[in-house]
Amino acid sequence: MAAPSPTLTRPIASAGLARAARWLGPIGLLAGVYIACLLFPSLTDTFPAQWNLGMREAVDDFSRWVTSNRLSHPAFAYFFDPLSAALDAFVRAVENALLGAHWAVIIGVTALAGWLLGGWRLALVGALGFFACGLMGLWPQTMQTLALMNVSVFIALLIGIPLGVVCALSNRFDRFLRPILDAMQVMPAFVYLIPVVLFFGVARAPAIVATVIYAIPPAVRLTNLGIREVQPAAVEAARAFGSTRWQILRKVQLPLALPAIMAGVNQTIMMALGIVVIAAMVGAGGLGREVYLALQRLQVGRAFEAGLAIVLIAIILDRLSEGLSRIDLTQYSIRKTQDAGRKAQNVKRNPASYVLRHSSLIGALAIILVTALCVLAFQDAFPDAWRLPLREPVDGLVRWMRDNLFFITRPLSDFITLYLLNPFRDLLRDVIPWPVVIAAVAVVAYLVSGWRLALGCALGMFMLGLLGMWPQSMDTLSQVLVTTAITVLLALPVGILASQSDGVRRALRPVLDFLQTVPTFVFLVPVVMLFNIGRVPGIIASVLYAIPVGIRLVDLGIRQVSPEAVEAATAFGSTRAQTIVKVQLPLAKPAIVLSINQMIMMVLAMVVIAGMVGGAGLGLEAVIGLTRSETGIGISAGLCIVVLAMILDRITQAWAARQS
Amino acid sequence: MLVCTAVWKIFGPAPEKAYAAIAAEAATGKLAYPDHVIAVRDVSFEVRKGETFVVMGLSGSGKSTLVRCLTRLTEPTAGEILIEGQDVRRMNDEALRNLRRHKVSMVFQNFGLLPHWRVLDNVAYGLEVCGVDKRERHARAMQMIELVGLKGWEHKYPRQLSGGMQQRVGLARALAVNPDILLFDEPFSALDPLIRREMQDELLRLQSTLHKTSVFITHDFAEALKIGDRIAIMKDGRFVQVGAPQELVLQPKDDYVRAFVKDAPRAKVLTAGAIMQRSPSGSAPNGRTVAADVHLEALLPMLAESDVPLTVVRDGAPVGIVDRACVIRALIDEQAN
Repeated sequence: MAAPSPTLTRPIASAGLARAARWLGPIGLLAGVYIACLLFPSLTDTFPAQWNLGMREAVDDFSRWVTSNRLSHPAFAYFFDPLSAALDAFVRAVENALLGAHWAVIIGVTALAGWLLGGWRLALVGALGFFACGLMGLWPQTMQTLALMNVSVFIALLIGIPLGVVCALSNRFDRFLRPILDAMQVMPAFVYLIPVVLFFGVARAPAIVATVIYAIPPAVRLTNLGIREVQPAAVEAARAFGSTRWQILRKVQLPLALPAIMAGVNQTIMMALGIVVIAAMVGAGGLGREVYLALQRLQVGRAFEAGLAIVLIAIILDRLSEGLSRIDLTQYSIRKTQDAGRKAQNVKRNPASYVLRHSSLIGALAIILVTALCVLAFQDAFPDAWRLPLREPVDGLVRWMRDNLFFITRPLSDFITLYLLNPFRDLLRDVIPWPVVIAAVAVVAYLVSGWRLALGCALGMFMLGLLGMWPQSMDTLSQVLVTTAITVLLALPVGILASQSDGVRRALRPVLDFLQTVPTFVFLVPVVMLFNIGRVPGIIASVLYAIPVGIRLVDLGIRQVSPEAVEAATAFGSTRAQTIVKVQLPLAKPAIVLSINQMIMMVLAMVVIAGMVGGAGLGLEAVIGLTRSETGIGISAGLCIVVLAMILDRITQAWAARQS
Repeated sequence: MLVCTAVWKIFGPAPEKAYAAIAAEAATGKLAYPDHVIAVRDVSFEVRKGETFVVMGLSGSGKSTLVRCLTRLTEPTAGEILIEGQDVRRMNDEALRNLRRHKVSMVFQNFGLLPHWRVLDNVAYGLEVCGVDKRERHARAMQMIELVGLKGWEHKYPRQLSGGMQQRVGLARALAVNPDILLFDEPFSALDPLIRREMQDELLRLQSTLHKTSVFITHDFAEALKIGDRIAIMKDGRFVQVGAPQELVLQPKDDYVRAFVKDAPRAKVLTAGAIMQRSPSGSAPNGRTVAADVHLEALLPMLAESDVPLTVVRDGAPVGIVDRACVIRALIDEQAN
């Protein structure tokens, strides 16, 4: 054997050296920080309390000031109180209208809308959905929630769509608003519930304000996107003919962006529905309150019924508004002219074609007729005698599971707590000195992106300490990372499986749909019953919350791998497994990393909810802040969650960007 | 009618500075600013009234940017643009809007029709933004629709029309405001070859009666020769050569132009006057004559029938003679020699 030629080995050796150097720097830094920590144990064992920014006290002072000045200060007398009263009156009016109307009228109107927007299936979904809510004995609550939804979505669109238009027209405004929208979406709703309650009091008004804040971002984003994606040719032509900006907007951009704007309406509705239970915590009534009360009393069946009703409303509103977004002006008008053409040809009228041509009108008349008959035949309120009790069987099932499945749940719970959560939390919180944790995060950020991100992340981590929340933050960080790891480990194989088989995908679809629309609180109840209070039920609920999106994104990512590459692999005789491992997974890696990013963000969104069932860490602090009006603690904890979310988001985003 | 002097367009974060730097270097062409692209480089030309001026260049040569600079759809970086004596670059928003509304119309490569409007409303768009009332603008739009041969289609939507018909709508829309100047940005490039030829003929037919001052952008040299009164060949943002079709064919300035000319349909471009032998003696022996502006296409059959040379006459006076040999010489690509 000839010795390898030196010209060949040298570049390899130097590449190896470069790679080593890339790792050497970070390792050296960590070691250096660690040694420094050993030299100053008093400063580095726990985060120095004297460095605390004192934000908690300042916020508490402010909230005390607000409470004592509520009645006298002009900001309240002339702004918050009238606004609050107006919102309250608005919701009450809608609520009274919905509750005062005959139940059959509500169902009839829904069916009619469904019929016009999507055909008989949608009409049936709408009618049966509301009917089921009535059968579960939740008619009044359903109407209350519907009123809250309608008003919040209306206001959110009233603000969101114009903002979206301005964003589309002005890049500067877009750049200004984007981080605010990001923060609004990442920030747990609890965090801004605290100041909202402070300013708007308790009951309907703060619930509306919180829902509006939560639901605005998609309306803005999709309006913005829709207008920006209008064919540039049409806009340029309009410009070339001397249109003013307003003319371009009104005659070209808005009509052509309509489908996207309607998709924004759909998203806004879904976001608003996602927060009904949380809104109940500040005094909104309806289904959210049912779930919340049932959760506090651990009544699984009751929570299940109310949760199901929320899911039904979600499905109905989702499908109806999706029908809205199908109104494509360019398509619709073509159908109309074609119909006109057909009509002109059909001079001879036979009855069958007459029925077909006027089917939409006849269907609508039928729905109105049935509704009218129901109004005549039944009383205004939904009949009590019609009852479909779901809560008893559900209660029974959960009781049975609790009594008979403990041989699974107990060891699982113990394993997660003793072997995953505790060691990891202790490591982050107690064993490793805080400067080393910060340095480690910075090193990860440096490796995936560069020094800028590293610096930003280090500052963010330092901020956690400055806010006086270092131990809690580390507790939460450990839970989030463990939860994400579990979610990814489950979502990856299932997602891969779904990408390979349409059957699996079809079978998964209803399950995933259900998990995505069910309010997160609803699965907390059975989970708590099975696993008792503590960190584990929060983790399991978070996994259930994040896993559908994970599975879907992994599936989608793999399916979007170019079919040419897969075909080529098959042509060269790869087995299925080889195709997956050698072609599909590597090519789908950017998408998969992005799905991990999404899973982390969803897990973070659950931190506060996990805190309600004993999740400790930042979530618990936020809950304390809200329920005991400890504004300072609540806001600090909320800020910490946002900071953690931003750090994890940026790092995983950078990681995803490196893949492509 | 339309005069451009030293027009520049530089894309990038700081185009003014980049321009100043280039000006300082006396247009050596090297760009000191790395993030900048020079799309249009020191372009000057003049379009006379009623003339069709074609700018021909390959993709990326800056021709579409240039035509957009004329009405500031793209803001030029430097230079002067005069339309009927008025400086376009000095116009305020209002004046510019009026220019676009009444004086200059444009036809686009991708048609730029509004998909949610009927043909009739699309054609009336330019009138609508000026505030012409509905009855009047629809009447005017109907005239235009008839002019471009789309009668009966006015209530259809753009998607229901073929590409060629959509561009007829684009043309009708541009004509509806009765502009003084028409700008065409590769109007037929997106069409199939047969439809393209049909549309070219249609345009020539319209121009033979309307005589609109036009600037026509294309990447197709044959199209340029067919449509243009004068042609500018554009490369890397500057004009390589400007001239009438037969000037380009007979005297290409450099290899770049020659490469295009090579495949040009010479018989359709060259005229008897351009290839004749100047004859001091005046006329050829037998009395047969041919006008100087007759294309070779028409001249060939005449020579086929005649054994002797023909006399070329301009304005009734003999100016030279053509025989078979000079036609054959003219038809042979100079490169081939």
